[in-house]
Amino acid sequence: MIISAQTVRTAANPAERIDPVIRQIRDIVYQVSGIYQLEEKLYLLNDGCQRRMKPLNVRTPSEYWNYLHAHSNRDPEIRQLLNEITIGETCLFRSPAQLDALRKVILPEFAAERTKQATKRLRVCSAGCSTGEEPYTLAIVLMEELQSRLKGWDVEINATDLNDRSIEAAKIGTYGGYALRNTTDLHKRKYFSPIVEGKLQVRPEVKKLVRFDRLNLQDDSKMLFMKGMDIIFCCNVLIYFDGASKSRAVNHFFSNLNFGGYLFLGTSESLLNLNDKFHLVHFPGAIAYWKPSLRSEKL
Amino acid sequence: MKAGSNAIIQERVKGIETTPSTPAVLMPLLQLLNAPGDEVELDEIVRLASYDNTIAGQCLRAAGSPLFGLAKSPDSVKGAVISLGLRRVQTILLTCCLGRAFPTRKWPIHPTAFWRHSLGCALACRKLSEKLGSRDVEKSYTAGLLHDIGLLVNCLAFPDEFMMAVQKACEEQIPLDEAELETMGFTHCETGRALGEKWKLADDLVEVIAHHHAVERAEAAQPLVAIVHLGDLICRMRGLDYGYYERHKVDLPEDPAWKVLLKEHRELEGLDLVRFTFEMDESIEQIHELVSTVFGAPVGAS
Repeated sequence: MIISAQTVRTAANPAERIDPVIRQIRDIVYQVSGIYQLEEKLYLLNDGCQRRMKPLNVRTPSEYWNYLHAHSNRDPEIRQLLNEITIGETCLFRSPAQLDALRKVILPEFAAERTKQATKRLRVCSAGCSTGEEPYTLAIVLMEELQSRLKGWDVEINATDLNDRSIEAAKIGTYGGYALRNTTDLHKRKYFSPIVEGKLQVRPEVKKLVRFDRLNLQDDSKMLFMKGMDIIFCCNVLIYFDGASKSRAVNHFFSNLNFGGYLFLGTSESLLNLNDKFHLVHFPGAIAYWKPSLRSEKL
Repeated sequence: MKAGSNAIIQERVKGIETTPSTPAVLMPLLQLLNAPGDEVELDEIVRLASYDNTIAGQCLRAAGSPLFGLAKSPDSVKGAVISLGLRRVQTILLTCCLGRAFPTRKWPIHPTAFWRHSLGCALACRKLSEKLGSRDVEKSYTAGLLHDIGLLVNCLAFPDEFMMAVQKACEEQIPLDEAELETMGFTHCETGRALGEKWKLADDLVEVIAHHHAVERAEAAQPLVAIVHLGDLICRMRGLDYGYYERHKVDLPEDPAWKVLLKEHRELEGLDLVRFTFEMDESIEQIHELVSTVFGAPVGAS
């Protein structure tokens, strides 16, 4: 999982003037990648554009807009620009509104639907899990639920990433203050063990819930074997894919989800027109894509 | 609604007191909102805005918010009209008057949350109307601003009963109208309707107030009611709520209000809902600022 640089950089001087063309560039980025840069974070896009303009020998945002608009190399360039405005850093409990939606709306919905099933199972996927912050967050949330609402349930989190080194680091599960900045003291005490000064390691009982695998989301043959998911988190990963690959991955997500399942993307990401079978649904502070249940009139 | 509630509502709404300047400014302003745009005189708006210096000052400060389209506050109400048009200044003036209309007492819901939600809904409705190519986007703004006026009635006329409803809503994380119906036997839709009728609001605004939680019951003004229903939902899902978590999943295109609007506006099919949501998010900070400007520091909150 990769987060936007906006979360770790300090805000620019609000008086700093942004060239209006940057807003037009924001629109192009949104149309191509589904990433929307909020007004208050436009300075990050501005900085990113300035950095990209230099190697291209482009002098003004207008010229750069022309490049992004009409140049034959526009798609790779937009991905380069996205690389400039995002960085490979994240933390546990990164998106509280998504976790609230999971705990307060989705899990009660699943629990109500599955009361009559003999084996109650929940399968969650963290696609593009980087160094494990997201799947361990989900594991902690679900462990709390296993003591109440999901008592007796069989819960499994499949976490995947393309990068072997990330997977190895994720399996070790050691985090410092920055990655743990959103983690409460109670959660730290309950689900982590101190190892060296300032570092905590995820406890074995949390690790037990998570299975890590190397997976390329563009590998069709392997994606076909990820069936039966109830919830997929794929936050800020698809932005690095070109249109066709993104579309393929999203279609795999749709077919791999159970009916009634949910796909969560990053907080400023959208599927745009990649898949019209998903329903866009709002929860307080969060949006998700829902694969309607079988009884839905749309299917 | 529980039998007998209507008589009690009418009786209590009759007794609602507003602040002294309200009859002189708010009532004529509400009457002007009923009139066609070309029949409203600039001088009349300037006279109303000038009646109360505080309201005039707030109106100019509010007009300077990016939410209304200006980069800085205009020097005079006339200047605001020249820059923004008569209709928009009318709605800004209404926003300021409404914020001062009711005495501040103990509110079961936080007044800041209430005004943020009302203003947010007004802006969401105006934005949605613009996207749909509507001719009277300021009408949608006004409808959004007034839709929950019944909650104010409940604060003033049914404080104890409403307190119980709010507690139930917060504890169970359910929509406020559901909690009202279960504890009071009626909702802010009925009490708001009674105030709207007392104030002689236009029929379409009364329909919005009365039916924004049940679009299918609306009659002539159903599309306007549908816009407000959707604006209300979007605000409640994007941090402009009543100050508590609502356990709620909203599928807007499957909502009956969406289907009502789709019959009138095929443009709705092409609306990028995610982008609309992100654009609403961008307004949140400005809405917070505007509520501080117009409605001042929170007072009387419980």
